[in-house]
Amino acid sequence: MSNRVVGQSVPKIDAATKVRGQRKFPQDFNMKGQLYAKVVWSEYPHARVLKIDVSPAEALPGVVAILTSKDVPVNEYGINIVDQPVLVGEGEKVRWLGDRIAIVIGESEKIAQEARQLVRVEYEPLPVVSDPREAMKPGAPLIHEERGDSNILKHVKIRKGDIEKGFAEADVVIEKYYLTPHVEHAYMQPEAGVGYIDEKGRVTVIAAAQWSHDDLHQISHMLDLPLDQVREIVPAIGGAFGGREDMYIQHLLALCAYCVRRPVKMVFDREESIRNTGKRHPYYMKYRTGATRDGKLTAVEIELISDAGGYASTSIPVLNNAASFAAGPYVVPHAKVDAYTVYTNNAVTMAMRGFGSTQPAFAYEMQMNKLAEALGVDPVELRMKNLLEDGSIALTGNPMPKGVGIKETLRQAALGAGWREEGDQWIKPDLGTPSAPYRRRGIGVACGYKNVGYSFGFDDKSKVIVELALDESGEVARALVKLGASDQGMGAHTALAQIAAEALGIDYEKVRVALVDTSVVPNGGSCSASRHVYMSGNAIIRACQEAVRKRQEALRTGERRVSVEYEYHGRSVRPTTPYDDENGMCDPHISYGYTSQIALVEVDVETGQTEVLKFLAAQDVGKAINPEMVKGQAGGGVHMGLGYALTEEFIQKEGLVKTRRFSEYHIPTVADMPREFIPFIVEVPDPTGPFGAKGVGEMTTLPTAPAIISAIHDAVGVWIDNLPATAEKVWWKMREKAGMA
Amino acid sequence: MWDEYLFPASLDEALEMLEAHGGEARIIAGGTDLVLQSQRGQCSAKVMVDITRIPGLDYIEERDGLIYIGAQVTHGQVAASPLIRSRAGVLAQGCGSVGGPQIRNVGTLVGNVVNALPAADGAIALFALDAEVEVAERAGRHWTPIATLYAGVGLCTVDPCAAMITQLRFRALGKGEAGAFERLAKRRALVLPILNAAAIVGLKGNKVERARIAIGPVAQTPFVAAEAAEALVGRTPDEDRISRVAQLAAQAAQPRDSLLRGSAEYRKVMAGVLVRRALWRAVEAASLQEGEDANS
Amino acid sequence: MPTLKMILNGQEVFVDVEAGDLLADVLRDKLGLIGTKISCGEGECGACAVLVDGRAVDSCLYPALKAQGREVTTIEGLGQDNRLDPIQQAFIDKTAPQCGYCIPGMVISAKALLDENPHPTRQEIEEGISGNLCRCTGYYQIIEAIELAAERLAEKGGPK
Ligand SMILES: Cc1cc2nc3c(=O)[nH]c(=O)nc-3n(C[C@@H](O)[C@@H](O)[C@H](O)COP(=O)(O)OP(=O)(O)OC[C@H]3O[C@@H](n4cnc5c(N)ncnc54)[C@H](O)[C@@H]3O)c2cc1C
Ligand code: FES
Ligand code: FES
Repeated sequence: MSNRVVGQSVPKIDAATKVRGQRKFPQDFNMKGQLYAKVVWSEYPHARVLKIDVSPAEALPGVVAILTSKDVPVNEYGINIVDQPVLVGEGEKVRWLGDRIAIVIGESEKIAQEARQLVRVEYEPLPVVSDPREAMKPGAPLIHEERGDSNILKHVKIRKGDIEKGFAEADVVIEKYYLTPHVEHAYMQPEAGVGYIDEKGRVTVIAAAQWSHDDLHQISHMLDLPLDQVREIVPAIGGAFGGREDMYIQHLLALCAYCVRRPVKMVFDREESIRNTGKRHPYYMKYRTGATRDGKLTAVEIELISDAGGYASTSIPVLNNAASFAAGPYVVPHAKVDAYTVYTNNAVTMAMRGFGSTQPAFAYEMQMNKLAEALGVDPVELRMKNLLEDGSIALTGNPMPKGVGIKETLRQAALGAGWREEGDQWIKPDLGTPSAPYRRRGIGVACGYKNVGYSFGFDDKSKVIVELALDESGEVARALVKLGASDQGMGAHTALAQIAAEALGIDYEKVRVALVDTSVVPNGGSCSASRHVYMSGNAIIRACQEAVRKRQEALRTGERRVSVEYEYHGRSVRPTTPYDDENGMCDPHISYGYTSQIALVEVDVETGQTEVLKFLAAQDVGKAINPEMVKGQAGGGVHMGLGYALTEEFIQKEGLVKTRRFSEYHIPTVADMPREFIPFIVEVPDPTGPFGAKGVGEMTTLPTAPAIISAIHDAVGVWIDNLPATAEKVWWKMREKAGMA
Repeated sequence: MWDEYLFPASLDEALEMLEAHGGEARIIAGGTDLVLQSQRGQCSAKVMVDITRIPGLDYIEERDGLIYIGAQVTHGQVAASPLIRSRAGVLAQGCGSVGGPQIRNVGTLVGNVVNALPAADGAIALFALDAEVEVAERAGRHWTPIATLYAGVGLCTVDPCAAMITQLRFRALGKGEAGAFERLAKRRALVLPILNAAAIVGLKGNKVERARIAIGPVAQTPFVAAEAAEALVGRTPDEDRISRVAQLAAQAAQPRDSLLRGSAEYRKVMAGVLVRRALWRAVEAASLQEGEDANS
Repeated sequence: MPTLKMILNGQEVFVDVEAGDLLADVLRDKLGLIGTKISCGEGECGACAVLVDGRAVDSCLYPALKAQGREVTTIEGLGQDNRLDPIQQAFIDKTAPQCGYCIPGMVISAKALLDENPHPTRQEIEEGISGNLCRCTGYYQIIEAIELAAERLAEKGGPK
């Protein structure tokens, strides 16, 4: 089939309204007679609430209601484990700063703001546990007494081959400890929305969300209402990156509407958003990697400890993912992995671009570059010897499904960066002269891979409805795609519209994608795991094929409308399985995306500052539905990876937040980005993907930090094993190396 | 926030407004500091006296070898001014590194001084230029050295609820003179520095005739490394000498450990690096200038 | 309550404000111009950028009354009738918007830049948007869009 729409960089479906400023985000909605709500947040990371006195606040004119735990029908929620109170009541515990004591609702935002300052809360502070390694130890203060006698939420074990034998075969063994920090999603649109009772009496929320149908389940549980009595509408989302997979405002809006039966608006300011919403997990990672003299990996032994913060959120699935990718995109015959996620009183941690694949990517790629150095082998060459191919046996014992494009991404990135390939040998390019005498140049390589879709036996599925309106002559005048897939900005709706247009054989302009409104659209699954093009794309193709058939019938009957509903299950093509309890063997994932990146940097040897001059990013997406959008994902992924590597650090001390605002938490500006950015789109099809497509959203972040950090090493000879590589950190390392510290 | 927002039409009217509200009214210029301070409860004034519409306070001009900058002049205007770029480049560089374009379009250089942070980029350059400010009170106007304005972090001796700064002045850099500004920050734009340094060097022949070094934030107020600068005067500014002078400056600097800015030790060493680089660039520019002037 | 009078997107408007109101809030809450976004509320991101007498300012930090008698242009004021401003069109053509939350501010900064400097270098473009944060794009397609807009404007003979 030759594609007319798929593979074209058509304009994004929502671009015109976005450049005009007309697109409505949650804070842009206002309803007649609306009230305003503000949250009374916990003042302690760990404490017992002794007394809540709302009377001074209630006395303020214009205050309509003050909600406390007593007002919540079922005061608990949680996306994976139900361990979070909606509001913390007297006698109960707060477990992190983002816990809520009360919600103040007033006639104006100002009144609500003023009133929340009048709510008096007495606490009995409890010992704060801020390091998961301490929290794991027997006798550590318990965060969740009700959940047993340990703070450990989950331990994943993988035992592959014979680890002793593997290390015995190794000529070189590298053993190191790595640490990645908390990261703030820093989506530009802070949490906001409106809760109200709709014309059918349903508790309705307008808010940004990544998986509205899952929110619904949680909200219906909290309010003890049947599912059809709750509704969520998702307008334009100002970025999410995993941070809206969990509820931070949706349930609060629902509760407000439920209690006061009037529209209630709530907007978090940036400080609230940073202080009280989830983060990327910090990972503490111990790696021991063995290889033979000629560069074949023999064994890897890994310990991962992740900081879950005060509540579980998705820490367990994130851990599952991290463990399955812990050895990287390489064939390693013998492996042992122990991975833990642990409650602390730090910020709750959750999904963020990569979903557990990002943190180990830093560690395994640093290990590869250290191995290359120890063996005196070029880092591209070492990788080429070990990278996965179709059918290779992965860490969890499963053969890799067809479409493994990792080698091709590395080849293209390396050639693009000036590497020469001579037989099996790869020869590093000359880096040119630094721009100042006190600067040194270095180049670094890294790879990564990640799953597409939900894993470990989860029945990942996407349901769509495709409706066709036919004109007089029976041609398709308009096609409407309905599915509960929110577009957080990456262009999911555009890509899905392209797929529908292609499958229907009509113009892209004729396809509309319905607004996500749970009362209208079916469950498309989460807008995460880089899954919509694959999962929903597959669903749409099949629905469209059926619609085309039905149109033939309609032509006979004179019917002007065609409607098809289709639910696609990932396991219909590739069933996945959960970890084996004993050895962790399983077939974890449906599909995969692959990426390789190369960074050219200059490091100031006097200050330790790093500037990334040039960056090459190759991603195997199977098929680029919209090449410009793929490039956009690469740019955005590298932005986040560069922040991870150099500038971003969410700092807490004893559970208290020290980087409270954008003036203290530094995401890269345009001036921090590499001046030269060269994306490569690699298309090694996955035969089960729509038009061969996989996913791209998350993969582009994985190799960025290890590529940059390895380039720093190449430039000045020091390894930074705990992110970010601030100027000061690099400087201390250089001093240490010079024997001065 | 405040309850009243006033636009005086003259300097006298501004001062009258301040007096009439007996400490409850405060001068506002661009508001890039004051708005946030007011929102965060760090400024309790109830009346804002906006000076940005008083005629005749928006100049950058040279008179008798002195450059005068009015209280309404923004960082953006300073950075773009041909006069400043050629006769006080160090200030153009300092102001050009403040925040981003939107902040520079609004924030004033005088406000940067009155806000009295030891890290302020504009102020550090002004310290190197040995600037003076003109204070206007009901009793009259007087000039005072910039350093007399500083009483601690964020503490200005001129009370914006009672007085106003009308302008700044400093000697334009002339033949054989040049300055340079250096800065270290957590990222490359839109961020306060963790350290900055400004240096001025005046050359005569191959000897330094005049030198001034300012560093921030390494003390409660912008820090002038006078002894270090003195050690350059009368000497040939070769690499060795400049390194030694920079060392002296770093030794005198007293940065503190800061969770967000970095350790004292790192920043102390960095003070030496920035001062050395600033001096070196200043010397290079100055000798170029001297050469040019000598030829003309 | 003081009355703010300004030329907003080419039209004279009068609006009652409180002395402490900031321009962003007046535009959004009192005038319904939701294209101006608020993200950081402290001048750190540029999402709220608008033009005042042709210069970009962060409206979240800008006392509303400062706009008294001034010309204020928001994203809604760009382009004519139903036609997009060439900068907006270039943003679409280069797939610059992802989530779009930063985009109105980016377009405003680009407008201020190109009005003053119709032929910016790549470096000048970067400086022009260095007060605007974007979390989605890595900025590349935004830069390309501004380059494209500058090219197209040059063909048509200058901005405005
Ligand atoms: C996002 C952001 C980034 C920034 N980045 C930097 C940076 O990188 N480097 C840097 O140095 N600064 C930075 N700043 C601060 C800088 O913008 C201010 O210091 C600015 O220069 C202050 O000028 P203003 O006109 O806005 O002052 P205002 O906020 O109006 O006033 C500041 C203070 O000065 C007083 N005042 C103002 N004018 C007068 C006068 N004529 N007479 C008496 N008192 C007066 C006011 O009462 C107030 O106390 C940043 C600010 C923001 C918001
Ligand atoms: S919201 Fe105004 S600059 Fe960020
Ligand atoms: S497009 Fe999302 S913040 Fe820029």
